[in-house]
Amino acid sequence: MASIKGSRRRGVALHAVLVIGLLLSAFPFYWAVIMSTHTSSEIFSYPPKLLPGSHFLQNVRSLFDNIGFFGSMFNSLLVAVSVTFLVLFFDSLAAFVFAKFEFPGRGLLFALLMAIFMVPTQLAIIPQFVIMAKIGWIGSMTALIVPAAANAFGIFWMRQYMRSAIHDELLDASKLDGANFLRQYWHVALPVVRPGLAFLGIFTFMGQWNDYAWPLIALTNPDNVTLQVALSQLNGVHGTTDYGMVMTGALLALIPLLIVFAVGAKQIIADLGKGAIR
Amino acid sequence: MATVPALQEPPAVVADAPAAQPKKGFRKYWHLYVAISPFYLLFLCFGLIPVGFSLYLSFHRWDGLGSMEWAGLSQYQYLLSDSDFWASIGNTLIIWALATFPMIFLAMLTAVMLNSAVRFKNVYRFAYFLPNVTSVVAIAIIFGSVFSTNFGLVNALLQAVGIDQVAWLNTPWGIKVAIATLMTWQWTGYNAIIFLAGLQTIPSELYEAARVDGAGPVQTFFRVTLPLLRPTLLFVLVVSTVTGLQSFTEAQVLLQNTSNDSTFSGGPDHAGRTMVLYFFQQTFDNNDFGYGAAVAWGIFLVVVLFSIINWRLVKRRGEE
Amino acid sequence: MRLSRRSLLRAGLAGTAATALGGLASGCAVPTGSTGRNMVLWYWDGGLGDTVVKKAKARYGGSVNLRAIKIGGYYRSKLITTMAGQAHLPDIAGLKGEDMASYLPNADQFVDLRTLGAEKYKSQYLPWKWDQGIADDGTMIGFPIDCGPVAHYYQFEVFRKAGLPYEPADVAKELNTWEKFFAAGEQLRKRIPGSSLLTDVTSVFENAVQQGSKRYVDKDRNFIGDQEHVRQAWALAVEAKRRRLVSNLVTGTPDQISAVEDGKLPSQLGASWAAYDIKNGMPKTKGKWRVTDMPVRPANNGGSFLSITKACREPERAFEIIAWMLNAANQASGYVDAGLFPSTPASYELKQLREPDPFFGGQVTTDVFGPAAQKIVVAYNSPYDVALGQPIKDEIKNVGVLGKDPEKAWSDAMSKCRRIAKHLGVSY
Repeated sequence: MASIKGSRRRGVALHAVLVIGLLLSAFPFYWAVIMSTHTSSEIFSYPPKLLPGSHFLQNVRSLFDNIGFFGSMFNSLLVAVSVTFLVLFFDSLAAFVFAKFEFPGRGLLFALLMAIFMVPTQLAIIPQFVIMAKIGWIGSMTALIVPAAANAFGIFWMRQYMRSAIHDELLDASKLDGANFLRQYWHVALPVVRPGLAFLGIFTFMGQWNDYAWPLIALTNPDNVTLQVALSQLNGVHGTTDYGMVMTGALLALIPLLIVFAVGAKQIIADLGKGAIR
Repeated sequence: MATVPALQEPPAVVADAPAAQPKKGFRKYWHLYVAISPFYLLFLCFGLIPVGFSLYLSFHRWDGLGSMEWAGLSQYQYLLSDSDFWASIGNTLIIWALATFPMIFLAMLTAVMLNSAVRFKNVYRFAYFLPNVTSVVAIAIIFGSVFSTNFGLVNALLQAVGIDQVAWLNTPWGIKVAIATLMTWQWTGYNAIIFLAGLQTIPSELYEAARVDGAGPVQTFFRVTLPLLRPTLLFVLVVSTVTGLQSFTEAQVLLQNTSNDSTFSGGPDHAGRTMVLYFFQQTFDNNDFGYGAAVAWGIFLVVVLFSIINWRLVKRRGEE
Repeated sequence: MRLSRRSLLRAGLAGTAATALGGLASGCAVPTGSTGRNMVLWYWDGGLGDTVVKKAKARYGGSVNLRAIKIGGYYRSKLITTMAGQAHLPDIAGLKGEDMASYLPNADQFVDLRTLGAEKYKSQYLPWKWDQGIADDGTMIGFPIDCGPVAHYYQFEVFRKAGLPYEPADVAKELNTWEKFFAAGEQLRKRIPGSSLLTDVTSVFENAVQQGSKRYVDKDRNFIGDQEHVRQAWALAVEAKRRRLVSNLVTGTPDQISAVEDGKLPSQLGASWAAYDIKNGMPKTKGKWRVTDMPVRPANNGGSFLSITKACREPERAFEIIAWMLNAANQASGYVDAGLFPSTPASYELKQLREPDPFFGGQVTTDVFGPAAQKIVVAYNSPYDVALGQPIKDEIKNVGVLGKDPEKAWSDAMSKCRRIAKHLGVSY
């Protein structure tokens, strides 16, 4: 905020608060890293180990022995990237319409969208499986990609975002210039809402990357699964789980997410208050 | 400051000014319908039939494999009288409230701070993002030990200020607080990033105008930032309601050790059994798919009800 | 635009009406099961020994391509979903012991193993275990993998310090009733301050129920959870609480683990596979433990089966494979690989099971688990047991953990059971 520029002391206090938040947020992650360098029994010993151990490479090796790590990572990338692009396009297009246009049935359609958002669809996995089996998509990544190509969450988010981010004068001006609907969407709306898209992209990617319940049911071929499904096969029964290995897998699986976040988050902060809008 | 209220709710009708000669319904608007159609088509194909099936199921008795048996409205009658279901609604709402309000407050605070802090912005953002991606297994193990009775961090802090130990994961209230803390921890950074994206849409001229008017940071927040953030706030609140009321993983991972029998039981006295956990217990522990479907519809109604309440609350204040 | 309550309601109604039109179409035309040489086997991590699976692949590789798939997550829900969907079913499916009650009423989903000549193997297996794989109508759906005889694990040194019997044979002999077991617990608490005999009342209640031949619902769909056998188990658990023999800790939490490591919880009633939990969870306690018979008589906890689904194209070949994988020699190797205690008594004499275990001070644990496995009585496993046992287990937990009044807890449990029984069509 503006007044902060003046006060150096306030800046220090601000950073102090932010650092506390940072430590609170990062500590469990740090501990997950520590766990990935220990054996399972070391993890559960007391007092807890706070420094890295020497078991990381063994954990990586037993991980690679147990699951096809890179094959399933490729599948996860395929699914998450395709879904993210489809969602970004379909959701922002629909959101643009809901945010900036008036047409008969708009209220009803949006209410329907919100109602669908609230339906616990994940609770009806059996009929979903039957439908997919009928179409013949069971076992293939299509069963994961197509149903996820548009969602209520993203439309709702982009609509809220566009309502304040796209200024009406801009649309009016482009209309006077003779721009049609698609041109308005592509050349006026999209450039302005880049931060919103970045957010939606990050979280769609993340949601897909971590999705587990449906892929577990839909992907019947063990040689062709997503990473989360592969990782789930590492959980043993009766406490025989090798937590060091499980944690190593979970951490390695995070790397693409962190990259996507680092790239996407730049867009969120992209300084566009300056003049892009006017 | 006079410009602020005008920007607050941008008028919806823009591109098609009312003055334009009205063409007949669909011909004029067809491109808009096409643009929003993918979502509805996908729901029609992949959402409607499962949803319809679960409705059909809720009027039957079914163990998942055998033949279905017509049950009429009896599943719903039982649902209304099922004290376990009502208790699970109570648990869910308490946990939701304990988690959501601190989370929204902290997230907004974090976002405002991040928006003003110039240096290390990227480092902070990155760190605040971590709770949302850290593996659930790790989170469960860590929070299990944070709330442990004799060795936990929380009890160590309590003892340091002279308060007795609390058996967090062994008392009904302790369980709820522990779950809510875990949720707050996990989602604060996520929502802070949403707020941050919202803050970025506020033109810097408005802040300058406020400063010229002599407003302090607090005043600026309430008179400029908050009103303009309202669409984002509404989004965060509704999404937190919908996802928070359907939450179950947090309770499941945190309490899985405490239940020798089922991972869906929610700890002592079922204090952590949320609505969706109850659904899973009925469906998958008891193989009662028919009743499970009725429970799912009960959950739907509760979620819709509370979303509407929240929507109205935020909207009404926005209209004043 | 405003999202009004009315439009939301209208949308909800419209959605509901539309969904009512959709239904589940049946009679799918999708491929079921495998094709050609492929034979798919589903199990879970730790459900079968790795060596056995590998050997089976090699041994039958000439005629079939055996694909053994470890299914992660909630195994039963995935299997039931796939069966309900009637597509991409495995040929051979592992069935967990605790899930048998939900498969047995749907025996028509599986191949009756009697038709494949299972009878001639019967004598090699524990009789009670064999019977658990058979449905009410006599259809045999599960071929026994392992079993989980429950025994008494205790810490040698702690028992000696408390002036209790400490050699396995003496412990078995002198603590052979619940009363003597509890009296020992009182002595332990007096001699070693801050210690408790057991972690929670649940282990008393559940094991006491498991020792018997009856559970919560009988064959004719009558609720029997209010009868003497459950009341007795309940009374034992309440007594353990009253005599302050149980801790207020929760199994698996850091507090409990460290209490066990410090010798403050020196005793547990656990199944054969619990040895692996102790070894993994508390490696520091190596050498401190001994294992012996539990009071009164052994119980069973866990143990699973292999089945052949109706989708299997070559049931004879599948049966040949599972009968081989689960013979006495291979069960012994499953014990070494995954701690699966064999359901074939002949395995108990094999060298893999005769190894002295340094974790248990060089004891040959098979000497305890083997005879225990042969003394287990089988109880009728009703599909309604889970639903109607749960309220009672919940309430005894409330007594143990929250200190709820036992009388109130029992009557709460019974009124809940009455309600659930009515809902499920079980007579109370």
